[in-house]
Amino acid sequence: MTNLHIGRRAALLGAAGAVTSFAIGGRAFGQGAPVTFGALPPLTGAGGPYGPAMLRAIQGVIEEANAAGGIRGRQIRVVAEDDQTNPDAGVRGARKLIDVDNVSAVMGTWASSVTTAVAPLCWENRRPLFTVSGADSITLLPHQGYIFRTQPNSKLQITTGSDWLLKQGARRIFHLAAQSPFAQSSQDVMAERFRAAGGQVTGFIIYERDKTNFRSEIDQLMRSRSDTVMLNGYLPDVTILLRELYRAGFDGRKFTFAYAAPPAIFQSLPNDVTNGLITFQPSPDLNSDAFKRLQARFGNTPVDPYSAQTNDHATLAILAAALAGDASGTAIRDNVRKISQGDGEKVTSVTDGLKAIAAGRPVNYEGASGPVDFDDIGDIRGTRFRYERAANGRFELIELA
Amino acid sequence: MEAYIIAMLVFAGFYALMALGLNVIWGLAGMVNLGLVGFFGLGAYATALLTKNLAWPMPLGWAAGALVAAAAGALMAVIVARLRGDYLAIVTLGFAEVIRLVASNEVWLTNGTDGISGIPGPWRGEVSPQTFNLIFLALVWSAVGVVFVLLARASHSPFGRVLRAIREDEDVAAVAGKPVLWFKVRAFALGAAVVGFSGALYAHYNAYIAPDGFAPLLTIYIVLALTAGGVGSMRGAVVGALLVVLLLEGTRFIAQEIPGVSPVQKAALRESIIALSLILLLRFRPQGLIPERTRTRSSP
Repeated sequence: MTNLHIGRRAALLGAAGAVTSFAIGGRAFGQGAPVTFGALPPLTGAGGPYGPAMLRAIQGVIEEANAAGGIRGRQIRVVAEDDQTNPDAGVRGARKLIDVDNVSAVMGTWASSVTTAVAPLCWENRRPLFTVSGADSITLLPHQGYIFRTQPNSKLQITTGSDWLLKQGARRIFHLAAQSPFAQSSQDVMAERFRAAGGQVTGFIIYERDKTNFRSEIDQLMRSRSDTVMLNGYLPDVTILLRELYRAGFDGRKFTFAYAAPPAIFQSLPNDVTNGLITFQPSPDLNSDAFKRLQARFGNTPVDPYSAQTNDHATLAILAAALAGDASGTAIRDNVRKISQGDGEKVTSVTDGLKAIAAGRPVNYEGASGPVDFDDIGDIRGTRFRYERAANGRFELIELA
Repeated sequence: MEAYIIAMLVFAGFYALMALGLNVIWGLAGMVNLGLVGFFGLGAYATALLTKNLAWPMPLGWAAGALVAAAAGALMAVIVARLRGDYLAIVTLGFAEVIRLVASNEVWLTNGTDGISGIPGPWRGEVSPQTFNLIFLALVWSAVGVVFVLLARASHSPFGRVLRAIREDEDVAAVAGKPVLWFKVRAFALGAAVVGFSGALYAHYNAYIAPDGFAPLLTIYIVLALTAGGVGSMRGAVVGALLVVLLLEGTRFIAQEIPGVSPVQKAALRESIIALSLILLLRFRPQGLIPERTRTRSSP
């Protein structure tokens, strides 16, 4: 065994040296201190299947930006905390990101309840919050411009879906909704759109999600002589509803959100039951350069809409800070709209954007999730929607509009 | 960093209050209560609705939160009067879920799963976020102090001794002429009131509450806090709450320092460290860090 002796003097010298080197280092690199962003995706809990990919998309953008020289020479780093899909844990994670890591922006919150809980912390500490949560109420908070949402809110989704159904010839629609924040608001929107087009909502039932039997609901639907049914629920209940619709011999259109009928549904239901089911979802712009680049980075893993959005969160924050020449939260908030919309040069990657900004040209970032233009309250505009029909155990694209 | 530590101490204060409340019901009276988060939610919703919609002053809202939770606790005690052990645990767990489902579905009252935002806080908006944190730190820990002193007194009073007797053997307590149900009702109401009060403070600190926030996970944390601190001991409850927050938050930094760990692994690692520490603690110190001490304990 070797024994290492460090005398008192050596220790003192060493300590003094360490302190001085910190002091020197601090002064020399003060100008180029790294810019830190906070990621708060759900890595565990109900959002656990989505969070890791969302984070990966953010990290990819940051690596690319660092390779391109960072924000005006300053390197960028991302600190990730797990929101556990729980508002309480989300708040504690956000506290750590803001107070300890001093992040310039927080991005990637998923559950609406987490986003709503974290939002006041962000605006009180003047840090922008980029989110993929859909609840209408989020952008109605008094957030002073600090919230940017890349997910179309539920009102826009249901409006687009209703208009598409009307275009397909639907006139009598029956609305079956699981209890959720947007059950009633969906109903209001559908009633208004269908009435305006000379149709009607023939019935509206809010059901409890955990039910295992929907006989009476289906009976009411069958009596209403509807040509379309809107299944506004989640995977477990929509699975049961589809089976009972088949048993009852419903032959109208079956329409639902893509998250309520992911491809996994083909494993639990026979093709006869699922055939003809139409799903819709806000779609990443699959043909855009930004999306293709993200897909290339992901390799064989399919890119989900949330990862496409967090890819854009990171890019927007970096470009806004680069344009401002300042990585403070307020500077980012004030510059996001200047680089995401307008008549500037269209750029689809963080590298091109940084180059154009360095050259002094105005830019308009077109992201993987869409054109990413924001309205006054921070809601996204002009997202595309994807409609698919189930046929023999897989989804076929009907339209991307 | 200071702001973060202060915020976490505020959270520890909420947890300490809840652990103190649980200690009356479980530690003294021996009734397992896994419905803690239900009482916490009741207190939070009561004060949020009263102060936001009816513009009640905040202290009245807090009192109302404690009262509503106490009433629910008393009712609960009567309903579960004949249940013990596992059965009691399941019923109380069910109670918390009922509260959460009602909050999700009675949209007219609770705004459903959207939750209630913009709950006022003492001087929120008028002072800097940092000062607000400090105000709340003082508020919560003075509350912990007052509740601690009162409950510690109660626990050594005749009332506390009867509760312990019930915990050890209900029949013996009844034979000794103690009205067992009446004591249980009072213990449940008292404990629930403290938990509800904690929920009320929490609502004003967070400014936002939603049914999602009242998931059983929080109950588990508090049960762990009390187990780690020492069931039956009021000091143990406070120490245990601090320990749980230290574990929850400290693991962030430990996991971060391990090189080559991705954030996803870090999240999993954190939960493992928390679980492992508690298992070790219970393996090697099952009586908790500060075991219950009673003056009546006789030496063999």
